[in-house]
Amino acid sequence: MTLLKIENLTFSYPQSIQPALKNINLAIKKGSFTGITGPTGAGKSTLAYCLNGIIPHFQGGKLGGQINLRGDSLFTLGTAQISRVVGSVFQDPDAQIISADVEQEVAFGPENLGVPPEEIEQRIAEALYLTGISGLRRRPTTVLSGGQKQRLAIAAALAVLPEILLLDEPTSELDPAGTEEIFQVLKKLNREHGITIIIIEQKTEQLATHADRIVVLNEGAVVMDDHPRQVFSKQQTLEAVGVRIPQVAGLAGMIGVNDRTPLPLTVEQAHRFIERILRR
Amino acid sequence: MNRQVLIKAENLTFKYGTEPPVLRNISLEIARGECVAVIGQNGAGKTTLAKHFNGMLKPVSGKVYVGGRDTERLKVSVLARTVGYVFQNPDHQIFHDTVGKEVAFGLKNFDLPGKVIEERVTAALETVGLTAHHATYPFNLSKGQRQRVALASVLAMQTEVIVLDEPTTGQDYRESMQIMNLVKKLNQNGHTVIFITHDMALVAEFAQRAIVLCNGEILADGGVRSIFSRPELLKETFLKPPQITALAQSLNRYAIPPDVLKVKEMYELLKARGEEIGCFS
Repeated sequence: MTLLKIENLTFSYPQSIQPALKNINLAIKKGSFTGITGPTGAGKSTLAYCLNGIIPHFQGGKLGGQINLRGDSLFTLGTAQISRVVGSVFQDPDAQIISADVEQEVAFGPENLGVPPEEIEQRIAEALYLTGISGLRRRPTTVLSGGQKQRLAIAAALAVLPEILLLDEPTSELDPAGTEEIFQVLKKLNREHGITIIIIEQKTEQLATHADRIVVLNEGAVVMDDHPRQVFSKQQTLEAVGVRIPQVAGLAGMIGVNDRTPLPLTVEQAHRFIERILRR
Repeated sequence: MNRQVLIKAENLTFKYGTEPPVLRNISLEIARGECVAVIGQNGAGKTTLAKHFNGMLKPVSGKVYVGGRDTERLKVSVLARTVGYVFQNPDHQIFHDTVGKEVAFGLKNFDLPGKVIEERVTAALETVGLTAHHATYPFNLSKGQRQRVALASVLAMQTEVIVLDEPTTGQDYRESMQIMNLVKKLNQNGHTVIFITHDMALVAEFAQRAIVLCNGEILADGGVRSIFSRPELLKETFLKPPQITALAQSLNRYAIPPDVLKVKEMYELLKARGEEIGCFS
């Protein structure tokens, strides 16, 4: 089922000559895990702003095309309505956490939507459990690690019970362990709880492992939109655009792939790929 | 050639106020011409250690020597002639209204003639590819470009040692490679380079030596090949070797060495191995 349908979406910031988004067409299915990547200035964040209502509600500009959320035009919905469906998590954990402690941070969204107190309690417990930070409930937010802060930001978004989690480079400030924490949480939310994930990310090794679809943006346009295996097979295009190719995929690209030995995306897949070749 | 030690730490311990130590008993030497990566999880003490190299921080106990001089009694402005420091967030160091003025700032303290300053600024901007932005307001540039302004400011000082704190964080792939290739060129031109990063593929490609920090202590210090050959050690500080190295380690029984660092290197090894057993097209 298509949850979000983006049709001919075009956007230009005020006073800029080049449009930031040019004729974007994408359909996001319910329960999918979509990775969006591409170089700086490709329009990735602008696209995210169109999906969570920052455009047109807080950022002016010239907007064309349409985004449909289950048949409703997203542009006619208010930000409060959009926030019930699309939960957003951004790059800098410190910029989005506003409360003094973990519990208050998670309660903020549902309180603002007028959710009854008993239910808020239940949602806090559930959101903290899903992100694996139940034990941090009473902690001040200032003492959390980067990975814990981003998990809290995800928990706060989840407490509103969105169908879609939209994340804009949530791991760019995190170390490898923190990055892994976030992807594990997203994988669980997606696989076990059916939450639709849209994540903007430079770390293509993680996207290749976890996403079921990858969209590559360049200069405001979609240049690739396919399964990770297909996307990372087109290595010349990726190099031209400036997208990092996961090392194991790059190696397989040099060796050559075929139907019997498809492109590996993880170390485990690459291990089997090499074994098949060496035994051939 | 004699190994000339430029930076030396002896039993360096550091703490903020009454908190537990952030660095404990660190001893190391960094010699002229080295390219060293400092790695470890968030909070391991990487930035705190690096800030001792230009005197921004002084040890609570132990000693740090830069060019043989104890940093204890030296001002940052004096040490800045030897050690340039590029902050993780360029916005913490940029405060002038044009790129040119920003890059010239550090040189003003060097008592250089105006003409020399202008030449150095021009050269530094050219090196980082920002010549066209001499008169631009820094905050009209992208973050990647501002990172390069910060780097140019340090380059213009022509210091022997350059310390870079996570120079590629927040950069896209192409920008990251541009910055790292520049770092490589500086090292080839004789500068001693120390960089902090979380990107193990960059460590494998650009550093010769890695210092692994864990909870304020040195967990390991050695050649990048030997460090990445010990995944169980990296695990202690929640790091993993690059994908290609992990793959090599999983292919132990095919006589692939555990210290492969680059994709091309792995390809050549497999090709040779495959040709031996006649199965590689």
